[in-house]
Amino acid sequence: MGLTLELSRVHKAYDQFDFGPLDLRVDDEVLAVLGPSGSGKTTLLSAIAGITAPDAGSIRLGGRELVGLPLEDRRVGMVFQEGALFPHMTARENIEYAATEGGRAGELATLLEVDDVLDRTPSTLSGGERQRVALARTLATEPDVLLLDEPLSSLDAPIRTRLRDELHGLFDSLDIPVLYVTHDQRTATALGDRIAIVRDGDLEQVGTPSAVLTRPNSRFVAAFTGNENLLEGTVAEETPDGARVRVGDCDFRTAASAPAASTVTVCLHPSRIAVEPPNDATGDRAANAVSGTVCRWLNEGSAYRLDVDVGTAQPLAVNVRPTTFERLSLETGAEVRVLVPRESIHLIPDGA
Amino acid sequence: MTAETHSDRSERNAFGLDWLDVSLLGGGVLLLYYVVPLVSLFLSVPVGDVLSRMSDPTVVDSATTSLLSASVSTVLAALFGLPLAYWLARTDGPVAKVALAVAVLPLVLPPTVGGIVLLTVFGPGSPLGEVAAAAGLPLTRSLAGVVLAQTFVASPFVVVTAKAAFESVDRTLEHASRSLGKSRLTTARNVTLPLAGPGILAGVTLAFARAIGEFGATMMMAYYPRTMPVQIWVSFVELGLDNAYPVAILLVLIAATTLVCLNTVASNPWD
Repeated sequence: MGLTLELSRVHKAYDQFDFGPLDLRVDDEVLAVLGPSGSGKTTLLSAIAGITAPDAGSIRLGGRELVGLPLEDRRVGMVFQEGALFPHMTARENIEYAATEGGRAGELATLLEVDDVLDRTPSTLSGGERQRVALARTLATEPDVLLLDEPLSSLDAPIRTRLRDELHGLFDSLDIPVLYVTHDQRTATALGDRIAIVRDGDLEQVGTPSAVLTRPNSRFVAAFTGNENLLEGTVAEETPDGARVRVGDCDFRTAASAPAASTVTVCLHPSRIAVEPPNDATGDRAANAVSGTVCRWLNEGSAYRLDVDVGTAQPLAVNVRPTTFERLSLETGAEVRVLVPRESIHLIPDGA
Repeated sequence: MTAETHSDRSERNAFGLDWLDVSLLGGGVLLLYYVVPLVSLFLSVPVGDVLSRMSDPTVVDSATTSLLSASVSTVLAALFGLPLAYWLARTDGPVAKVALAVAVLPLVLPPTVGGIVLLTVFGPGSPLGEVAAAAGLPLTRSLAGVVLAQTFVASPFVVVTAKAAFESVDRTLEHASRSLGKSRLTTARNVTLPLAGPGILAGVTLAFARAIGEFGATMMMAYYPRTMPVQIWVSFVELGLDNAYPVAILLVLIAATTLVCLNTVASNPWD
């Protein structure tokens, strides 16, 4: 049974930057901490690990106060950005240095697939191997909490994706709180049971990946999680099952609700909008349908990103599958109908 | 790369030499100025003559005194200098700045002045000197005096060089070690010291070289027992230049050994 990590009113003042005061509770789960660089993600980990002493507040692990304890007495495992392997020791020596008496150093090396490189020094390891060894080394101490500071950020895309998928399985098998810091939304949503969005030293939103992606509580969270369509709108009326919102020349019926006449930011996630040919109405009849023209398209690999001019202040960004793009010939100038399901529309009250 | 090479070539002068060649021509004169006198020293006396005079009691005594005192001074410098170097490397702020300036002071102070300031504390007229002399351990005109003079002048090399070596060890590695449950002491022994090792060894080597060559402060503190530099002076003044050669050659050989050490096991701080 894992312990619970609880931060309350943790605060640290820097010259140009204030961290917190911040409250956070992490149980047996993976909390992905997502935010831009300089937002305080690393400060958060440093405070928990004991590298940085907060000015105020308490950090408890299973009821035990960590603030004031030296690093070595916290039982907090940390995986550093570049691995921080000891360069004068082999991979094996790195892991064994950390291993507790009768620990499972060998088992961990097998689990993380570094058996073959154990006798090599860190400088001869690839970035991915280095992070695997670093993770094995940290887990060999059998920590009560695992902190990871952007462990994948320096890796090439294919290795990053593979290691990320492996981490997902590994974290599942750990019964401890895991805090995973990243600035990459995909890594955060793929690995996190919950996501905490950090901005300027404060928690902006904490929730499940789908809640944070579909119901961001501020324009910042929406923009940072890849929600490109943030449109200024006015609530025309409240309806029994939601609201009708006016955006530029378009009317959208929404399942979400807001007071009539209030101004709101309308969030339409590009992946939750569909397009169909202008006169071939086969899609979702209940959805809002608006006519538009493709004004730009980008091949992003796994999807095409279309900018569709529908008469709003900015074009709507829509993600479509490559097969759809080819079948409908969605090149610049193509006429389309954009389908926006009522449930896909999220409203953020103005000022948030 | 190509563009750089091109601009190098375009700076060739009328003789077809580029600036790197010209630099070497100028610097070469200086290198000769270093080497020629050394070679001349070895050529100025027959080898057999030098070897036979090596067993002269004055040579043997001074070499013994020098090696013994310089070893003790180096151990003292390391014993007190390494903790100071570590503290300086891991501390910021005005206090550390002042402490560093104080540690560097003996490096810029003329050695004879160093001898004078030491005499004011340890000399025959000083309270400390009186007490020590009364206890049968005089701090001047004794091996202790030589060690005090050498440590004063040589220990900053340990502090300055080891500080740089400690600073070159990424603090993240120390944090990593401690987050693995290892104490500060275990971390220092297993992570910081091994990684800073070659730099520390360089500092210790330089301190030893400086101690064994120390003349100015030693002259003031302890004319007896004679160290090699003092013996060179005495031989030169009393018996003429020829008689100073054997000890001088010994010191040159020790200096050469120091260089070999710096370029092999230690990390040459000037490389």
